[in-house]
Amino acid sequence: MGGDLTNLEIENDAAAVGQSWQRSDLEAKVRGTFRYTADLPVPRCLYLGVHRASQPHARILNIDISSALEMPGVVRVVTGADLFGIYGELIYTGPAFADQPPIAIDKVRYVGEPIAVVVATDLITARAAADEVYVEYGELPAVLDVDDAISGSDYVHEHLRPSSVFSDLKHLQGRGETNVNYEYNLTSGDVEKAKANSDKTVSGEFWCPPTSHVAIELFSTTAWVEGNRLEVVTTTQTPSYVRQALASMLDIRLNQVRVRTQPLGGGFGSKMYDRLEPLVAAISWTYKLAVKLEITREETFVLTTRHGVAVSSQMSADSIGMIVSAEADVRYDTGAYADIGPRIASKSGMVACGPYKVANARVRSRCIYTNKTSAGPFRGFGVPQVTWSHESLVDELAREFGEDPAQFRRKNLLREGDVAPMGTVMHSADFVGCMDAVTSAIGWNTPLERARGPWRWGRGVAVGIKAVLTPTISNAVLQLNQDASATLLISTVDMGQGSDTIMAQIVAEILCLGPDQVRVVNPDTDITPYDTITAGSRSTYHTGNAVKKVAERMREKLISIAAQLLGVSETDCKLTNGGVVASSSQKYLSIDEIMQLHFGAIGTTLTTESNFTTEWIPYDKETGQSVKVTEHWFAGAAAVELGVDTRTGRIHIAHLAVAGDVGRAINPALVKQQLEGGAIMGLGHALFDEIVMDHGQMINGTLLDYQLPSVKDLPDRLTPIIIENPHQTGPFGAKGVGETAIIPIAPSIANAVRDAIGIRFTRLPLTPERLLMAMAGEGD
Amino acid sequence: MNMVFQINGRDVGIEVSDSELLLDTLRHIGFSSVREGCGVGACGSCTVLVDGKSVSSCLVLTSRCNGSSILTSEGLADDDPVVSQFIKNGAAQCGYCIPGFVMMVSELLSENPIPTEQEIYNHLEGNICRCGSYPEIVQAAMDASKAKQTSKLTC
Ligand code: FES
Ligand code: FES
Repeated sequence: MGGDLTNLEIENDAAAVGQSWQRSDLEAKVRGTFRYTADLPVPRCLYLGVHRASQPHARILNIDISSALEMPGVVRVVTGADLFGIYGELIYTGPAFADQPPIAIDKVRYVGEPIAVVVATDLITARAAADEVYVEYGELPAVLDVDDAISGSDYVHEHLRPSSVFSDLKHLQGRGETNVNYEYNLTSGDVEKAKANSDKTVSGEFWCPPTSHVAIELFSTTAWVEGNRLEVVTTTQTPSYVRQALASMLDIRLNQVRVRTQPLGGGFGSKMYDRLEPLVAAISWTYKLAVKLEITREETFVLTTRHGVAVSSQMSADSIGMIVSAEADVRYDTGAYADIGPRIASKSGMVACGPYKVANARVRSRCIYTNKTSAGPFRGFGVPQVTWSHESLVDELAREFGEDPAQFRRKNLLREGDVAPMGTVMHSADFVGCMDAVTSAIGWNTPLERARGPWRWGRGVAVGIKAVLTPTISNAVLQLNQDASATLLISTVDMGQGSDTIMAQIVAEILCLGPDQVRVVNPDTDITPYDTITAGSRSTYHTGNAVKKVAERMREKLISIAAQLLGVSETDCKLTNGGVVASSSQKYLSIDEIMQLHFGAIGTTLTTESNFTTEWIPYDKETGQSVKVTEHWFAGAAAVELGVDTRTGRIHIAHLAVAGDVGRAINPALVKQQLEGGAIMGLGHALFDEIVMDHGQMINGTLLDYQLPSVKDLPDRLTPIIIENPHQTGPFGAKGVGETAIIPIAPSIANAVRDAIGIRFTRLPLTPERLLMAMAGEGD
Repeated sequence: MNMVFQINGRDVGIEVSDSELLLDTLRHIGFSSVREGCGVGACGSCTVLVDGKSVSSCLVLTSRCNGSSILTSEGLADDDPVVSQFIKNGAAQCGYCIPGFVMMVSELLSENPIPTEQEIYNHLEGNICRCGSYPEIVQAAMDASKAKQTSKLTC
C-alpha cells in the first residue's frame, strides 16, 4: 500500500469551480427519462377534485354535497368546516400570516378558492363530482382595487393573524378594520427641503399588473399515512418549510412528517410555502387515506400570482444633475391571503429609490389584501415592480437635463463602499460595470438611424438592485465513500437553475474529484438537512457556503486520518487527486486505502456536516434604516435597441444585452442560461404577460388566452454578460443569479420606446394596442 | 375498445375507453417524457409523433390512433443527432418542455433537412419553454441539421 508520488500531480489538475460542467441531469432531461415529482412511485391513491368558489367575496350559506356523494366512485366530500371542526385555528397556515385555510371556512375570499374537496377512486370522477357540489353564497362587497382597499370600509379579513414565524409581525395580532397587513417605511435626510432646493423634479404613477408564473410542470401533491407518520411527495421549492407547516397544522412531531420532492419542472417562486400541501395532508392524515391532487393549468392560475403593484413616485436632482431626493409610495396587491407579501413589501420597498446615491429618501411600501388570488413570491420578489418605477423616473430626469441616460445614471449610481438609502453599505455590486457592459454591447454610442419607413428606432438602458434574502439558514451533510465518490445531502431544490451541478462542482473543487464523482441527493426531509428555502437567488451563496464548508471539513478529516496512518503531521499532508500525500516523504495513500486502513472494512463512508447562517440587523420600524439589512446585493443591467412599427404598435427588439454581477461564476454556462432565461421572462412582462381581471374573475386564465414568450419573441440578438466582482464571503467569491436579469428588462424596453417615439409609458405591458392608442394621443 | 398500435417500434395492444386521451395512455404505459403543461394544445410539452407527424397528445383520443405508429423521445436512437445536439448545446434548464422540443425538431429535420433559422422559429413557435432555453434549442436544431448532413456525406 502507499507509494511514491513521482508520477502523480500534486495539484488538482481538474479544477471544477469556474468550469462549465454539463448539467448533471442533462441527458435524462433531453431523452425524457428524467423523473419529476409526478413520476415518482407512490402507493395506490384516491384522487382529489376541488370545487372552487365562483364569487370573489361571499359568505358560504350552504354546501350541498349530496349529488356528488351519490356518484359511483366518490368516497367522501370534505369541507372547510369539517377540517376546522378537527383542527380549529391550527388549520390556518401561511409563512407571514396564519390567515389561509386549505378549504374555505365560513366565507370565500377569491374566485377559485377551494370550497369542497371530493375524494374519489379516479381523477375523472373526482373532478366530475367536484362540479356536482352546489354552494349557496351570501354575496359580500368585493374589494377588487388595491387603492379602494386602503380607503374603503370593506375588509377581506376581520382581523390580522400574524404567524409565529416572524417576530416583527407580532404587534399586528388582532388588528381589525384594515386591508393593509403590513407597512414598511423608509426615511433618510429631509426630502421636503431637498426637493425645494432641487433644480428639476419628475414624478409618475406606475402600475405593473399581476402575472402568472406558468412553470410548465403542473403542481402535484400526494400524501399517505404509514403507521404514525405522514409521507408527502410534492412539487415544492421549500421542503423544510412544508414539513414544519404540516407538523404544526396537524400538531404532530417533525419526524412524523416526511416531505420529498424531485427537481422541479420550473418554479419561479410559484412552488413555495403553502400550496397544495396543507389541503392534501389534512385530508390524508384525518381520514387515513392515500390521496393525490394534481391540478390543471387553469387551477394553477388561481393558485398564486405575481403581485400587481402600484407605485407613485418622484425623483429630484440639483443643477448639476445629481439626484438629491427620491420618494415612492408602493402598494402591493397581495390578494386574499398574505403569503409572503409582507416580506416582499419591505424587501422591495427598501430599494424603491433605485441603486443611486440619494441622501434624502422616503418610501412607504404597503402589502394590501384584496379579493383576488393570493399573490406570492415571483422571480425578483417584488423588486422588478419597483424597478419599473425608479428606472423610468431616472430616465425622464436625465432627459429633463438633456443628458445621456447612461451618463446620467453613471454619475449617480452607488459604488463600492457607498451607503444606500436604507443605510447599508454596498459591496460586490458593480452597477456601473454592469451598465457599461450592456451599453457597450449594444453600441450605445454608435449612430442610430432613427426613422426607417414606418419604423422608429431607439435605445434604452436600466439598472437593478436587489438584496439577497437574509437571514437564512443552509445545512449540508457529506458522505465520502471508500471509492472516492461522494454523496451530498442538501435540501436545495434544483428547478432548472442547476444547483445540483454547481454544488457538486464545489465539493469536487475542494476534494479534487471529477464530474461524475459527486451525487446530490434529492430533497427528502427524512434525510437531507434543513434549508430555509430555494428562492431569492440565495442558494449559490448560502447552500454554496454550507457545501464548501462541509467539503473542507471532509478534507480535514481525511487528512487527519491519513496523517496518523502515514506517521506525519497534518500540516505535512495535502489532499490531491484521489488521495493524500505527505509533502516531506512524498508518501501517498489513496482515499480507498485510507478508508480501508482506518475502518478495516470495505464500502465504508466518512461523514461531515456543516451549517451556514446569515445574520441581519432588522431595520428600524420608523425609518427603515439598518447598517446590515442584507448579506449581499445583486446588481444587474439591461440595454436594448428596438424599433416601433408606427402602423401596428408592434415592438421589434434588435438587440437585448443583460449583465449581472455574480461575484464569481461557478459554472459560466449555467449562469448565462439564468441571465438569458430571466431576460426572456422579463421580456414577456414588458410586452404582453398579464393577468386580466374583470369583477374579480380572471378572464385569461388558460394557456390559450395567456400569452407567454415563444421562440419567435427572441430578440434578434440576446447577449448575456457575466460581471465578476468576487464577494468576500461568497463561496469562491460567488453570489446567486436567478433573479438578476429579470429586474431591469421591462424599464430598459420602455426607456427605448420612449427614445424611439417620445412617449413615456407607466403601465405594463407595452402591448401594440397600448402603443397605438398612445401614439394617437389616447390612453396612458 | 381493444386496439393495437406501435410505440417506439414495439407493438402494444391495450383496452381504452372512447374518451381516453393519448397523453394519459402514454403516461399510463410508462412513457413519462410525455407531459401535461396546459391540456389545451398550447404548450407542446405533450408532443409526440403519430405516423411521423407531431401532435399534442393532450388533444388526441387514443382510440383514433388504432394501427398508428407513435414515437416519443424515449424511442429515439442512442446516437440520434437531435438528442446529441441538445445535449452538446446544454439545451435544457428545468427540462420539462425539452422532449416536446426534441420531437418537434426531429419532425422538422425529417421534412426539411436544412431549415433556415426562420423556419426553425416557425416550426417551434407552438412550444413553450418557460425557462427560456430558446437560444440553445435553436442552436441545437441548427447543429443537428448540420450533423445529419455530415453523417449523410460520410456514409
Ligand atoms: S399539454 Fe398538450 S399542448 Fe400543452
Ligand atoms: S427547460 Fe424549463 S420549461 Fe423549458
